[in-house]
Amino acid sequence: MSTGQAAAGPLAVLHRRLHAGPLLATAPATIGFALLFLVPIGAFAVYSFLTAGLFDASGPLTLANYEEVINSDVTPELATNSALVGLFTAVICLLIGFPVAYFLRFSAGRYQILILLLFVVAMFASYLVRIYAWRTVLGPQGVINEALLQLGITDSPVELFLYSRTAIVIALVHILLPYVVLVLFAGFRLMPASLLEAAQDLGAGTVQRWRRVILPAMLEPAASAFLFVFVLAAADYVTPQFLGGPGDAMLGVKIEQDVTATGNWPRGAATAFLMVLGFLLVAAIVSALLRLRHRGRRRGRYRVAT
Amino acid sequence: MLVTIAALAFLFLPLAVVVLFSFHSSAGLTFPFEGFSLQWYEEVLGSEEFRSAARNSLVVATATSVVTLLLGTLTAYGLTRTSSRWRVPLTLLFFLPVTLPGIFVGLALLVYFSELTITLSLLTVLVAHCLFVFPFFLLIAHAALSRTDPALEEAAADLGAGRWAVFRRVTLPQVWPVLLGASALAFALSFDEFIITFFVVGPDSTLPLYIWSGLRRNTDPSINTVSTMLLIATTVPCLIAYVLTLRPRSRGSASDLKTELEASAA
Repeated sequence: MSTGQAAAGPLAVLHRRLHAGPLLATAPATIGFALLFLVPIGAFAVYSFLTAGLFDASGPLTLANYEEVINSDVTPELATNSALVGLFTAVICLLIGFPVAYFLRFSAGRYQILILLLFVVAMFASYLVRIYAWRTVLGPQGVINEALLQLGITDSPVELFLYSRTAIVIALVHILLPYVVLVLFAGFRLMPASLLEAAQDLGAGTVQRWRRVILPAMLEPAASAFLFVFVLAAADYVTPQFLGGPGDAMLGVKIEQDVTATGNWPRGAATAFLMVLGFLLVAAIVSALLRLRHRGRRRGRYRVAT
Repeated sequence: MLVTIAALAFLFLPLAVVVLFSFHSSAGLTFPFEGFSLQWYEEVLGSEEFRSAARNSLVVATATSVVTLLLGTLTAYGLTRTSSRWRVPLTLLFFLPVTLPGIFVGLALLVYFSELTITLSLLTVLVAHCLFVFPFFLLIAHAALSRTDPALEEAAADLGAGRWAVFRRVTLPQVWPVLLGASALAFALSFDEFIITFFVVGPDSTLPLYIWSGLRRNTDPSINTVSTMLLIATTVPCLIAYVLTLRPRSRGSASDLKTELEASAA
């Protein structure tokens, strides 16, 4: 955008005409967000300090909800389950996403647009339908068990898959993988093919190219994909209910129960705030690691001339 | 390449199983497949419960995509044309709904509506959907609007066109397919939204809620049918968006959703 600050005469008038008022165009959405997003979150924060009634709350302000959640026997297990599911899902998504995005960027050729379209379609495919689909596939009479039975590998249906953390992670990878592929692909788009050719010409093998050239340059997109997946997977409350066993409940499930079943809204609110606090902590750790690495190795980075 | 094929198989095969069983002639969800039948479609389409859920989803998704198209276009235009110091904080604000977990946003809205004694209805669902969908729309609209040539707008203003005339006759013709495409995606996202909707929906039902209650009832073969219809309802807007954004622009730069997504994700 050519915003010449010191432009004078007719040009200045022109610039004013084009640039003075556009901020006003954001006013309707800003007001909407203030009234229907920021104020609700503020109210929600206050609410987490109120005393619980049944499906409502009243004053005075208290720390009891937070104390109750932190001191509760179930919280450590729920938090661990959430963190593990978030971690496994994010790591698996990255492990699959990297080769796929790399292939799409550098070797898919004329199939690139078609494959990208497939990933976009998969990204928008219904969330609940996927959970349902995995229950159908993994269930005792599901496709996998039927196949195992008919091939004579087992005599009775295996309960190994359904109602386990594995099933939760499989479904969440299924739901979140397309996002990771697209984010990593966008990252690879900024990487000039000449960079890899140079590495190859200098004698770097596949492993060295990934370790010394590709991964260092892809740290930032990888970190944002990781955080995005970690938060969405760890906060999920539907998948563990339908695909997890009794020991696989997560923080989101507890929050949902407080809202719908026990009617203890302030405790649900306190749990939700503590969960978001945990996510902020993870985000802070990830970005601190990134910064540390940046400071550690300035060499080997490329500049993009766009 | 093998990993890509495997990933696509992993993504699409489970969905294919659901679609296949929606045409199954028996209630069983097991192979071997016994034959094709449309009986589940007849049963589902005849059910009043399904029809009202589908109607509600359609109404909310349409309203969401229209509201998002109008407000989102205005906002993206404002954000790309201003040099104000509010630009960055405002952008961050508009992207916040996707950074926070849906359960957090849903619960915050539920508490807010209940404190204001606002009865939960499709209107509260609409509010939630607009918040949730807005960042996605803005991402695409912002990328499209920031890549138009500023010289064209300056030339038009130079020739005496007012701001509205510049927008309508110069800016809009360059970006409208992308904006329509993004609003089709808004429709798809709204049509399928469950996580936030669950908290603010009240007595009405939407298609995802219909599937959710089916999931709780355990094996009910008609869920396959509703699922298939839901998949179609999200895939079609996706394809529309792709076609619309693939259209070459007036200035000859063939741009597509892919580049929009990349540009914005970068």
